[in-house]
Amino acid sequence: MMLSSINNSFEQDTHDVDANCDGPDLDFVYSDVDSYQNEIAELYSYTEYSEFQSNVKAFEDQMELYDLPPNWQKQDSASQRSIVMKLIDQLEVSNRTLRMQAARCILYLAQGCWAEVQSDEEQHQNTRDNVIVLYELGVFSSFIDLLNMEIESACSPDIVAVKITNVTLVDSTDIRVILSVLYIITETIRDEREKASEDYKDLSESFVQEINSPLPDGELLAVKLLGMITRFCSGAAPQFPMKKVVLLLWKVSLLGLGGMDVLKNLKNEYRLKVGLDPITEDTLEVTKCMRASSPPATATDILENQYPKRNFKRSLMKQRFLDEPEQIDMEMSGNEGSGNANNSGGNNGGSNGEEELLQYYRPFDDPSSSASTTATANPNNQPSLTAPLAAVPPVQITARLPWTPKVRQKDIDQFLDISRNKFIGYSLIGDHESLAGLPQPIHEGFKTLQRHMYMSLADMQIKKEEDIARNPISTHEDEIKLTPAEILYQAILPNLPQYMIALLKVLLAASPTSKSKTESINIMADVLPKKMPLTATQSTKLTVDMGRHKEIIVKAVSAIILLYLKHFKINHVYQFEFMSQHLVFANCIPLVLKFFNQTITEYVNTKNNIPLLDFPSCVIGEQPDLSGDSFVYGADMSDKPYSWRNVFSCINLLRILNKLIKWKHSRVMMLVVFKSAPILKKTLKVRHAMMQLYVLKLLKMQTKYLGRQWRKSNMKTMSAIYSKVRHRLNDDWAFGNDLESRPWDFQAEECTLRACVDRFNLRRYPEATQKCGAGGGSGNNGGGGTATQNAENSQQSNMNAGNGYGGNTGGADSNGYGGNNGGGGGGNNSGNNQQQQQQLNDYGVEGGFPSDEILTHSDFAFFGHSGWWDRKVELTDYFKANYAVWLEEEVYNSQTDWDAL
Amino acid sequence: MKMADGSTILRRNRPGTTSKDFCRWPDEPLEEMDSTLAVQQYIQQLIKRDPSNVELILTMPEAQDEGVWKYEHLRQFCMELNGLAVRLQKECSPSTCTQMTATDQWIFLCAAHKTPKECPAIDYTRHTLDGAACLLNSNKYFPSRVSIKESSVTKLGSVCRRVYRIFSHAFFHHRRIFDEFEAETYLCHRFTHFVTKYNLMSKENLIVPISDGENAAPGESEA
Repeated sequence: MMLSSINNSFEQDTHDVDANCDGPDLDFVYSDVDSYQNEIAELYSYTEYSEFQSNVKAFEDQMELYDLPPNWQKQDSASQRSIVMKLIDQLEVSNRTLRMQAARCILYLAQGCWAEVQSDEEQHQNTRDNVIVLYELGVFSSFIDLLNMEIESACSPDIVAVKITNVTLVDSTDIRVILSVLYIITETIRDEREKASEDYKDLSESFVQEINSPLPDGELLAVKLLGMITRFCSGAAPQFPMKKVVLLLWKVSLLGLGGMDVLKNLKNEYRLKVGLDPITEDTLEVTKCMRASSPPATATDILENQYPKRNFKRSLMKQRFLDEPEQIDMEMSGNEGSGNANNSGGNNGGSNGEEELLQYYRPFDDPSSSASTTATANPNNQPSLTAPLAAVPPVQITARLPWTPKVRQKDIDQFLDISRNKFIGYSLIGDHESLAGLPQPIHEGFKTLQRHMYMSLADMQIKKEEDIARNPISTHEDEIKLTPAEILYQAILPNLPQYMIALLKVLLAASPTSKSKTESINIMADVLPKKMPLTATQSTKLTVDMGRHKEIIVKAVSAIILLYLKHFKINHVYQFEFMSQHLVFANCIPLVLKFFNQTITEYVNTKNNIPLLDFPSCVIGEQPDLSGDSFVYGADMSDKPYSWRNVFSCINLLRILNKLIKWKHSRVMMLVVFKSAPILKKTLKVRHAMMQLYVLKLLKMQTKYLGRQWRKSNMKTMSAIYSKVRHRLNDDWAFGNDLESRPWDFQAEECTLRACVDRFNLRRYPEATQKCGAGGGSGNNGGGGTATQNAENSQQSNMNAGNGYGGNTGGADSNGYGGNNGGGGGGNNSGNNQQQQQQLNDYGVEGGFPSDEILTHSDFAFFGHSGWWDRKVELTDYFKANYAVWLEEEVYNSQTDWDAL
Repeated sequence: MKMADGSTILRRNRPGTTSKDFCRWPDEPLEEMDSTLAVQQYIQQLIKRDPSNVELILTMPEAQDEGVWKYEHLRQFCMELNGLAVRLQKECSPSTCTQMTATDQWIFLCAAHKTPKECPAIDYTRHTLDGAACLLNSNKYFPSRVSIKESSVTKLGSVCRRVYRIFSHAFFHHRRIFDEFEAETYLCHRFTHFVTKYNLMSKENLIVPISDGENAAPGESEA
């Protein structure tokens, strides 16, 4: 039903009426992670409940062996340490049962010895204390050894024999114990580091150092985990508990690379280093004081608009929408400014529209001059500049745009070029400044543009790369600092495409719209118990558990991808581009759109949680009555009206989408051909300013391709974009029509980008690049790549007998985007062009939203099988025997009508 | 270095030094040692003077960094343990001792590999000593011998734990060699004191009985 409705509902602002869409704003605050308690509780699925008991059992048995009372807190610290040391010794024993018993004991200690305490706080305190002891005595590295052993034994053939669909919780018992201990240690240290606890200071320092440097076997922990995900996705290790793996990977990366604060500081530090001003506007801060827009008009609204008298209350609300002060001004409760704004809104109501309009536009003349002068100079100059001092609310609030407008050098050049052509009649290539012969208004325009010019870190990095490419010897490149992001990039570079595919596969399998039955991977293995539930209650419980499980995976994977993108972006833009290109090749864009193609308000409000069963409540104090039906929903009411993790995942995914698409014409077109507009608009119903902002950005990018009709019927969305998203001077996003100018040259755009990225990788990381064979420009490699690629394609098309070149069919499977870029510098050849045509047919003509089919069955091959380069091309004997015929028919006799292309 | 008589003493074993003259140079007070290896020199000097005087050897000089002190001692243990390994080679081979055991209950995995695995006892010995040498000389964990990072000090515990198994294997399976070696060097004795003093291993895990009775926990009771 969704699919058809998307295809038809292109033009109207109508939607099915959702509950909650008129509700208050969500008080969700975006941050790196949820509360520590939730992050810990999410580690366990409800079906693991019984295993808590085996941990305490293991502990009791072990203590009996040591002739000690089974009570941890009664031991003095020396004896505690001694016990832990004995347990670690036992971890190196070859007998698996003994080893796992010790591991379980340690897990019990890490879980805070819950059997001995009365409250959650006590349990947390115990965990805190024990983690210090455990880490100091080297438990973390011992457990990584154990993890290695589990990974190793996972590839022994006798285990692989288990069928994917038959894998259950039982198959991953041991490895889950190990991952849980690693996760608890990591998460506890991360939390204490964030809180800047004194006793954790040194410990967290050395821990961060440890996870940012390779393990004794030379591998980074993050890479090891990524490798586990890849292996899981290849079907070689179906018993790996994916949820715990991605959670651990997320936390390890977050702690190793740093969260939002670190990112902000690093960005400014890097900007200063290349001579740019630090960023003053912080998206997170600005959106915090932005108010959510009302959701786009629903069908009922429109009806009521036609009969305004029917519902007085309704029409009042409509007026409020019209005034829109709520959309523009900052939400600053309890201060005069906002009071005034509201008053004026209330008094004037709809009666004085013009004055409202004035208010609306006034700040326009000068947001930037104020921003560029000092903060005190202009009383109008507030939120953006004062935002860093978040505690101090701005003194005066006027209705103004939340962002200072920006303009790129490119845009200025374009402006100059057009003006010069118009007034002088020729262009000055490469001149960014001279205004000779241009009339006064142009001078003024130029000055305004220049005042708003924004140089990004990426611009500087790209320029540096260009310089190096042009003058490789004389250009001096600073020593590459081994920042955590740099270390990570170097470590994942050789296998980055596979890792991206693996992450996306897990994300796809976990997204609520996917049909889990047809999956080649089964991410549910670590929820499903051996015995399927018999009673209704139990099966309700399992359903909730499975939903929760999926949500947590989406949360973790989306957070990982976003975190990597952000860190690579400031570390070096081409590292970011490399990763994002592979995400795009692996079909990340349609996948995310598909994710949002659900009733998103419902998703945001889903309560796949049974608080009574969350750790530690499920084991501390009075045990819940697990027989009744009530426990499932009983405690829900008191909770928040939304699901933290789902809002978090949504925002992450939207940000990922923005990161991938921003300034990439070709990818914007993907948004258009996948008909993302209605999906995104539905997402606007979630009343959260930050989430809406990212949706609006996505809509803004594609507005000019959506057509007049769409704009006409979506004016409310248009004004929301206008008031919320940053303005780009002389960017005609709303009404521009450069559709004709560049019809389908975006293949070239991706190719150029790819060539730059390859050159960068090849120059900086020759070894790693050679290993993954992506070195396009390097003579042999590149040539060979192109040739084999073509051979492969052609072979494929030969098999499609009767289709001529295989032109318009079959392309989706084997040829593709990736393929086109194969040679890097290899340039175009007929094969490439043929492919391009196919590509156009694939997503231009047929268009439409990709179905499950494409995404699941062809292994993300819609844009080409990523990782094609390390696939050995096996030519069939038939082909080898008859290649001359093929050459004759397909190469020599194939005519390409270049003009038609 | 000028001595009282004015001649210069080089504390080096030059090529061609006879075994009689090996390391035969006069003692030097710690304060006068001015190389970066002073601590090692000091420890070796004490051992040479009287290996049985474990207490004295392990007594940390004042104003000494404890991390460095532990590190240097562990280095010294590993170096001397090679002597035991050499003797063990004559008797302990992969065919006689197929697994690393002390008492027969526990077979230990060799942690020197990417994935820990069951190595024969002699291989375990070699791998572990090599691994320990690698770790203790690694630029990453121990870039300096003058000051040691707190995070690296925690690595010492795992080295001790693994190295100790060599003693216990020798004691339970090659008693003759162990006794000979111990009579000369008092190494296990000193090691036991060392790990107890600095709390690097659990007392119950020290299963080799030590003569002076203090740590003479009979092995069988624990495992």
